[in-house]
Amino acid sequence: MIRLKEVSKSFDGGRSYAVKELSLDVYEGETMVLLGSSGCGKTTTLKMINRLIEPTGGLIEVGRQDVASQDPVFLRRSIGYVFQEIGLFPHMTIEQNIGIVPKLLGWDKDRCRARTLEMIELMDLDPHAFAARYPDELSGGQQQRVGVARALASDPDYLLMDEPFGALDALTRDTLQQELLSLKKRLKKTIIFVTHDIFEAVILGDRIAVLHEGNLEQVGTKEEVYDRPASRFVAELFSKPFKQLAAFKEML
Amino acid sequence: MAAGVVIDFVFERLPELWLRTGEHLMLTGVSTGAAIILGVSLGILASRVARLRGPLLGATGILQTIPSLAMLAILLAVTGKIGVLPAIIALILYSLLPIMRNTVTGIQGVSSASLEAALGIGMTNRQQLWMIKIPLALPVIVAGIRTAAVTGVGIATLSAFIGAGGLGQFINRGLALANNNLVLLGAIPAALLALIVDFSIASMLWSVQPRKHRNLSPHLRAVLRGLAFSLPFLIGIGGAIAYVSGSGPGHVSESVFSTGDRGPKSRVVIASKNFTEQFILGELMAQLIEENTELAVLRRFNLGGTMICHGALVNGEIDIYAEYTGTGLTAVLKKPVLSNLDTLSVVAREYRDLFDVEWLKPFGFNNTYAITVGQGDARVHGWEKISDLTAVASNLRAGFTSEFAERSDGYPGLVKAYGFHFGKVTDLDPTLMYEALARKEVDVVCAFATDGRIAAYQLKPLLDDLRFFPPYHAAPVIRRQVLRAHPEIRQVLDQLSGLLDDITMQRLNYEVDGKKRTPQEVAREFLKSNNLLK
Repeated sequence: MIRLKEVSKSFDGGRSYAVKELSLDVYEGETMVLLGSSGCGKTTTLKMINRLIEPTGGLIEVGRQDVASQDPVFLRRSIGYVFQEIGLFPHMTIEQNIGIVPKLLGWDKDRCRARTLEMIELMDLDPHAFAARYPDELSGGQQQRVGVARALASDPDYLLMDEPFGALDALTRDTLQQELLSLKKRLKKTIIFVTHDIFEAVILGDRIAVLHEGNLEQVGTKEEVYDRPASRFVAELFSKPFKQLAAFKEML
Repeated sequence: MAAGVVIDFVFERLPELWLRTGEHLMLTGVSTGAAIILGVSLGILASRVARLRGPLLGATGILQTIPSLAMLAILLAVTGKIGVLPAIIALILYSLLPIMRNTVTGIQGVSSASLEAALGIGMTNRQQLWMIKIPLALPVIVAGIRTAAVTGVGIATLSAFIGAGGLGQFINRGLALANNNLVLLGAIPAALLALIVDFSIASMLWSVQPRKHRNLSPHLRAVLRGLAFSLPFLIGIGGAIAYVSGSGPGHVSESVFSTGDRGPKSRVVIASKNFTEQFILGELMAQLIEENTELAVLRRFNLGGTMICHGALVNGEIDIYAEYTGTGLTAVLKKPVLSNLDTLSVVAREYRDLFDVEWLKPFGFNNTYAITVGQGDARVHGWEKISDLTAVASNLRAGFTSEFAERSDGYPGLVKAYGFHFGKVTDLDPTLMYEALARKEVDVVCAFATDGRIAAYQLKPLLDDLRFFPPYHAAPVIRRQVLRAHPEIRQVLDQLSGLLDDITMQRLNYEVDGKKRTPQEVAREFLKSNNLLK
């Protein structure tokens, strides 16, 4: 499990906080969605878990180990990460991109190759057609499938996903959400998923953590959060889609 | 020239062409190799440490603006050596900017998405550099290396000025002797070399970019990749072979890379500046010493001017060359022009005290500057001496060498002494100057009194009636250390004393400049006709 205990982050020496005394437990095998608008601290929180950002205060444990006591390089290799900007390496083939973390971990060539091809298939792509291609020869949706495959290639227990579908068109996003849904049922990973899209949160999250201006407003299943909002902000957040739908109908 | 003559011309010089090409490749190869290591390292450093970026790029940028000849002259002073070392250092310094700047630009151009991903998946700094930054920046870095290598091939031609050899040797000799064929013999292979070097680096880049050749069959791909990758090395090996095979004992041409004695015989190094008369004087001295002593002679001709010859002499890189009294006085000793003074005794005393260098007996001629007009104009206007120009000077167009236009014993002094200005003064290359006067594009030039073209173009040197120009008597200057070890050299060279008056020297110069004969030939013929050579 991943545990955050009173974690704070200030970028300006304490005058203001991007994340303030945030405590959150993410259980084994669950998907926790960090939901909030831009600037609410959700990405900062995610990046503190694998030490891309160092917290100003508080404690973070991954699998009962304090991350501050670990070498950040080894920590990051043990946690899968899917980037908003996808970030495939343009000079490497799809096979090399997916195999990069196993390679960093020192797997031998045959094992790397077998695992990579397995991952390409897992992503519903044809290994023969895709292994030797380069990222810019793939569509956006295909690229992010590869991005997910890269994060899962070394079979990490934990997966951090930073608005991974944010840059994709609506149709592709729907498809990838469904694929991720079926994937997580099969793989049983512990996932922290950052998004500003309430629909995505409801579709993917076993539980949802609502963040607002660096504070954790509420944590719970979608039913809990919708039925018993802990704050005005949460209540408005979940009522907004209904208002929009009403306005949409009126316009037609 | 007919095709046959061209073929003969090139064929005769093939062994030397081979050697000079080898030297040229070694100069560019070694310097580019060193510049890649240094430039890429500094580029990586500058891309990582923002504080160093400005100063490093600024410093290499300033290096780039130093004119090549000035750079060579500075390095000559700093290293105290002529030849390969300062040339290679100069080439490295010139190559730094494009390589370093492109390394910085290339690394900074790597997308933030790639960098974030590299960090996020757990790459160390070193892995980020070698697996992500360098490969992604490689095309830009290699573009910088190609720029550096191609300019390097070009700048390396200038290395001949400080005796570093290479194809520039032909170009300089051709310029000095007004022989276009020689210029082309250096320039065309240098241009081809630049293209070949550029292509070889491009092909090496191609070989390390798998994406460029993934459509080839595996077999062909392996062969082509291997070939493309090794092309720069093959060319380098070719250069080394050319150099080694071309410079062995018994070959016409001696390479500048060879150092130390080859045999038990002692050796003297005779040098010359970069114009015809100097080549002839150098040959005369060299052939006499070879004939009359046991000493071997190494010729390091065609050094780029007075200060380079003088610097090399003082540093013991060369032993003997021919200097002019007026030049020694004004250019080397920086003394004002003094008329009514025995210039030779002054320079002889100062050289002995300051540099431990001896002036031997003068050859006889006085190669002073001569304000020169066309014979036709002189006849029509009755011009005999410089003062005759006073009334009309403001209507005359003058063409001077840039050195004359600047030197205190040149135009500025002339203006003071005679009290007139010419209407228009144009800086001209010495070779072009005589032709410009012959074609009446200028009315007055600053000829050298012994230049063969004065007679050939029917020009008229005017009398220096106010005795403004100091005498420029030519004489051998020799390191006294060498003279102590081999006192016989004095007697041998004294045989030339007084043998060459102005007219004789003009004639010898014209044999080379006008009739396109080689200085060796002309010198040998002269020595034979004076019974100094069998």
